[in-house]
Amino acid sequence: MIAILFILFAGLAVGCAVAVVAQRNPLYSAISLIGVFISLAALYVMLAAPFIAAVQVIVYAGAIMVLVVFVIMLLNVEEEVRRRLRLRFLIPSAILLAAVLVAQAAFVIYFVHTRDPTPGPQDPATSDVGLTLSIGKGLFTTYLLPFEITSVLLLMAIVGAMTLARRAQLAPDALAVPGSQVLTQSIVDPDAVGDAAPVVAHTTAEAEEILMRNDE
Amino acid sequence: MDWNAIWDIVWRLVAITVAFTGVLMIVAYTVLAERRVLAFIQGRLGPNRVGPGGLLQPFADLLKFILKEDIVPDKSTRFVYFLAPVVAIMTALMTMVVYPFGPTVTLPWFGETQLVITRFDVALLYVLGITSVGVYGIALAGWSSNNKYSLMGGLRSSAQLISYELSLGLSLVGVILLSGTLDLYNIVEQQSGWHGMRWNIIRPGGPQIIGFVIYLISAIAETNRVPFDLPEAETELVAGFHTEYSAMKFALFFMAEYVNMLTVSMLATTLFLGGWNVPFAADIFGQGTFLFALVSVVGFLLKLTFFLFLYIWLRGTLPRFRFDQLMSFGWKFLLPVAILNIIITATWAFFWLPK
Repeated sequence: MIAILFILFAGLAVGCAVAVVAQRNPLYSAISLIGVFISLAALYVMLAAPFIAAVQVIVYAGAIMVLVVFVIMLLNVEEEVRRRLRLRFLIPSAILLAAVLVAQAAFVIYFVHTRDPTPGPQDPATSDVGLTLSIGKGLFTTYLLPFEITSVLLLMAIVGAMTLARRAQLAPDALAVPGSQVLTQSIVDPDAVGDAAPVVAHTTAEAEEILMRNDE
Repeated sequence: MDWNAIWDIVWRLVAITVAFTGVLMIVAYTVLAERRVLAFIQGRLGPNRVGPGGLLQPFADLLKFILKEDIVPDKSTRFVYFLAPVVAIMTALMTMVVYPFGPTVTLPWFGETQLVITRFDVALLYVLGITSVGVYGIALAGWSSNNKYSLMGGLRSSAQLISYELSLGLSLVGVILLSGTLDLYNIVEQQSGWHGMRWNIIRPGGPQIIGFVIYLISAIAETNRVPFDLPEAETELVAGFHTEYSAMKFALFFMAEYVNMLTVSMLATTLFLGGWNVPFAADIFGQGTFLFALVSVVGFLLKLTFFLFLYIWLRGTLPRFRFDQLMSFGWKFLLPVAILNIIITATWAFFWLPK
C-alpha cells in the first residue's frame, strides 16, 4: 500500500519537476512547481512527518508560489521562443554535474543498503518524531540557537526588503490622498535632470500652476 | 493487508461519500435560503414556484446548469481554463474530512464510534494548507480566461486572500495556545466542561472574543463574500474571475464559494463556539447515549446555520468596500489586533495556565 503510494507520488514529483524545466509557458512551469511541492508533502506524510508536510503546503505551495503566479499574471510573461543554442561549452559541464549528482545519490543508496542495522523509515501510524509536540520541543530546547539565528535572518530579510522597496519611493511628506498628484522635480523643471525630489500638488489647479510656471 | 485495513478504508470511503452528499445538500439549500432571505430583506418574495414554497428550486437550478451550453473562450488557455474550477471545488471539499460533528457514541454494528471522518495530529494546519492552495482556483481562472475583467478579478482576489490569510491564521493562535493541540477533535472535547458551556470564546482564562471577531471578519474576506466581494464586484468587473465561465464550470465555482462558507463556519464553530457541545445536553441525556449524540449533532448544525444566516444577513445589509480600504483594513487594523490578541493570550498562558 505504502509502496504504491510512494511510487505514485514520487513519479508525480519527478514528472512535475521535468515539466517545470521543459514547459515553455512560465505559468505552466509555476503550476508544475506547485505539483512538485504537493507531491513532496505527500511523501513527507509517508515518512511520518505530517507537520513538515503541512508547513510545506502552507509556506511553499500556498504562499510563495501564489506570489510567483501573481507576478507572472501581472507581467503577462510571453512564452519562451526556441532559439539557437549559445554557450555550447556549458553542455559538457552540465553533463559532468549531473554525473556527480547521480554518483552522490548512488553512493547514498549503496551506503544505506550495505549498513545492516538500518533504522529505516519510521512507520507513520506509530511514530511520533514528526508530530507537532516533538518538533516544538526540539525547536525550543535542543535546537534553540539555530532556530533563533534563522528567525533573525528572516527578520533581516524583511527589513532589507522594506528598505529596498522604500528607496524607490518619494519622500515621506508625499501625501497619498486621492486626488493629490506627486511629480518629480525633473518633470517640473527640465534643467534639473535626474532630480527626483517630489513636488506635491493637492488639486489639479495647483498641479497646473506648477507646470505652467515651468512653461514660462 | 488484512481484512481490518480493507474494512477501515471502505468505511472511510462510505463516510466521505455520505459527508460530501450532506454538504452538497446543505450548500444547495443555503443558496435557496440566501435567495429567500435576501428577497425578504429587500421586500420581495424570492423563488417560490418550484415545489412547495420553492423547496425544489436548487434541483431546477442544477438541471439548468447541466443542460446549458458550455462556452469556452476562443483565446483562452485551455488546460488552465479547465483546471481552475477543478482546483476550486477540490480544495473546498477536501477540508471537510477533519471537522468533528458529534461526540463519541456507541452505534449498533459499529461499536464505539467518534463522529468525525478522520482525525490526525496536524488537522488545523491541514485546513490552513488546503485553504491556501484554494487561491489558485480563482487566480488561474482569472488569468486563463483572457479577459481584462477576469484578470483584474483574479489579481484582486489573490491579493485579498494573501492579505487576509495572515490575520486569519494569527487569530487562531490564541485558541491553539490555550488548548495545546492542533487536533480539532481534542480541541472540541476540551470545551465540554461546565455542562457543555466551556467554549473558547467565553472560557474563564483568556477568552478568545477578539480572536473570534478577527477570525469572522477574515473568514468573510477569505470566502469573497459581501462586504469583501471585490473579486466579483459586478458594478466594476462584470462578474470578476468567473465572467467567462458558463454552465457546469460556473456551477463548480458557485458551489466552491458556498462550500467554503460552510467550512469556515465549521472551523469557527469548532474552535470558538464549542463544536458539538450543547449546554446541559450531557446532564439531561447522559454521556455517550444515542440521544446525546443526536442532540449534539443538531446543536452543531444549528451553530452552522447561525453563521450561514449571518453571511446572508451581511450581504443584505452592508455595501462593498473600496479596494484600498480593504487592504489597509486588513494590514493596518486586523493584523496588529490579531498580534495583540496573541500577546495577551500568551502572557496569560505563561503565567496562569497549568503546565
